[in-house]
Amino acid sequence: MKKNKIILLVQSEDLIQKLKEESNITFLFPIKGFSVGFPKTFDIEEIKENAFIFVNRIMDNQAILEFKKLLDKLPKNIKGIVFDDLGVLNVLMNTPNNLVKILYLNHLNCNYESINAYLEFVDSVVVSTDITFEEIDEILKKAIKPVVLYTFGYVNIMYSRRTLITNYNDYYKKKVANLASLEDTITSHKFKIIEDPYGTVIYTSKPFNALNLRKKDNVLYNLINTVFLTDEEVLNILNNPLDLEDLYPYKYLSEKPTIVKIKEEEK
Amino acid sequence: MIELLAPAGNLERLKIAYLYGADAVYIGGYNYSLRANAINFSSEELKEAVMFAHNLNKKLYVTVNIVLHNKEIPGLVNYLKELANIGVDAVIVSDIAVINAIRKNKINLEIHLSTQASTLNYEAALFYKKLGVKRIVLAREASREDIKVIKEKTGLDLEAFIQGAMCTSFSGKCVLSNVTTNRDSNRGGCAQICRWTFKINDEDEIFSMTPKDLNMARYIEDMVNIGINSFKVEGRMRSVYYIATVIYEYRKLIDKMLSSTLKESDILYSNDIINRCANRESTAQFYTGLPTYKEQYFLGREEISNQDFLGIVLKQEKNKVLIEERNYFKVGDEVEFFGPNMAPLSFKINKIYNEDMEEIEVARHPRMQVYLEIDEALPEGAMMRLKVFDKNTYL
Repeated sequence: MKKNKIILLVQSEDLIQKLKEESNITFLFPIKGFSVGFPKTFDIEEIKENAFIFVNRIMDNQAILEFKKLLDKLPKNIKGIVFDDLGVLNVLMNTPNNLVKILYLNHLNCNYESINAYLEFVDSVVVSTDITFEEIDEILKKAIKPVVLYTFGYVNIMYSRRTLITNYNDYYKKKVANLASLEDTITSHKFKIIEDPYGTVIYTSKPFNALNLRKKDNVLYNLINTVFLTDEEVLNILNNPLDLEDLYPYKYLSEKPTIVKIKEEEK
Repeated sequence: MIELLAPAGNLERLKIAYLYGADAVYIGGYNYSLRANAINFSSEELKEAVMFAHNLNKKLYVTVNIVLHNKEIPGLVNYLKELANIGVDAVIVSDIAVINAIRKNKINLEIHLSTQASTLNYEAALFYKKLGVKRIVLAREASREDIKVIKEKTGLDLEAFIQGAMCTSFSGKCVLSNVTTNRDSNRGGCAQICRWTFKINDEDEIFSMTPKDLNMARYIEDMVNIGINSFKVEGRMRSVYYIATVIYEYRKLIDKMLSSTLKESDILYSNDIINRCANRESTAQFYTGLPTYKEQYFLGREEISNQDFLGIVLKQEKNKVLIEERNYFKVGDEVEFFGPNMAPLSFKINKIYNEDMEEIEVARHPRMQVYLEIDEALPEGAMMRLKVFDKNTYL
């Protein structure tokens, strides 16, 4: 059976130890100060394996300067970078380096033209999670280089620069931890919310299961985000050839096109 | 170049925006625009809008700022060519597919990068500059220091929001609406879930992430000094009264700033007028530092609606002014007129006449037309509001 390579956005050091001999898996580390939305981030010195780094923070000028310093001291075992901010891309384009560059403009790379436009500057692009499987298929047919597909994991669905949990605690004199659960009072949708000094991220309350994308062509990596997953769950997902739809039925936005105008909904 | 940039959701609002002092207006065309539920402009209306703007020697920008999906690609080039042929002065875009379509097809359109791209640093701005972008609409999260550095390092035209609603999220980085209601926030369908209320863990107190509005009246001069070229008011779905009021006040502030006559009393007075019109509290948000709980609402939206907007001047014949009513008013009310190229005029209503010139005590029906007796000249399109604030008390 066809088996694409996996890029694993990691949280657990134990899991890394268990998987470090797997040639099919590339570890992707969220980096302290440059990643948002993770209970665990890593100092660059902590990373011993050949790995990629994950930089999903929206950068202000100061953060860009700090990123340049990080780039200067990047050890040789760091082989690639997955990033969100185009300022990072500009720095990478103007700094000699051999990094594999993967652009992950969360929520924004939703069509083949945009993806191909960015592929002129980077090695690969993470396709948006916010489109249907049908749309992904068309992108895979038309992409000029292999792309990365978000294949399993909780989805980051809102990123604010505000420290929303701190603000709540300050207003009500509370001590809610920086990782909490949210439920809206109108439709009772549930979410996970996590805050760090660089902002607040809201995630879906269930992991998005797109394991069916593991068999697609023109894919550089299938991305599995392990945030909020146990090591056992991750191992089960990695080792099981099935799509595990009974265990993880949530398909996020992949099966039903979103509505653009309210009138469309009324039709 | 200092530009006051107004929103407009239809032709009526567009004309009001220009007449009340906007140097430029941004609108959504019939396709590819966020605020899909605003009325937006048909092809014919776009032509009329361009003609109206250019006759006043002013500019018109069209938003092409949705995140495109595959099915929207095929019609894109033709749409952009149409906008160029109509003569719009620039397009406001966020998706690189639109930028590439303009470049590769050599379409004669100036490109402004939408705030949807969340540009917060000079390296990102330089990347877009290489792609031919002439102006960056900065992320609403940009601080004073960020703006200053971006200007110094790029030399690009910079546009910044000065008034209006804020997203909780970085623009473009929120799909709460998609997940909760299936309405696509990055293609114009945002259901504003960030203005809903939430339960966090098992806490009794409601969790809220609703930001107060942005208001930069106090910082206009400082923003000019650090390199902002275009001062943008949010709100393509706002009313004519809101657009007229906000643009009128910011026009005064900018003109006074440019003529070095701006006083603290002007800022305080304009702030009160704008805040009352917006029905929300407002702050400088990220400009002066990271917002705290003070820049958010926690107990619902805390809005107090009012019926200040009383009517619009349709015409004046000698001392008889024909008013189209918007909200109830009566003999004895203290009102104020403001309008294109006029200073605010205070007036106590002593007589009201109906269309048959019969004297009446009250104008109670929206859209009814009544006459008032006023000796001073009032331009067509001037607005009548309840007098709430007296400028003299600010001096």
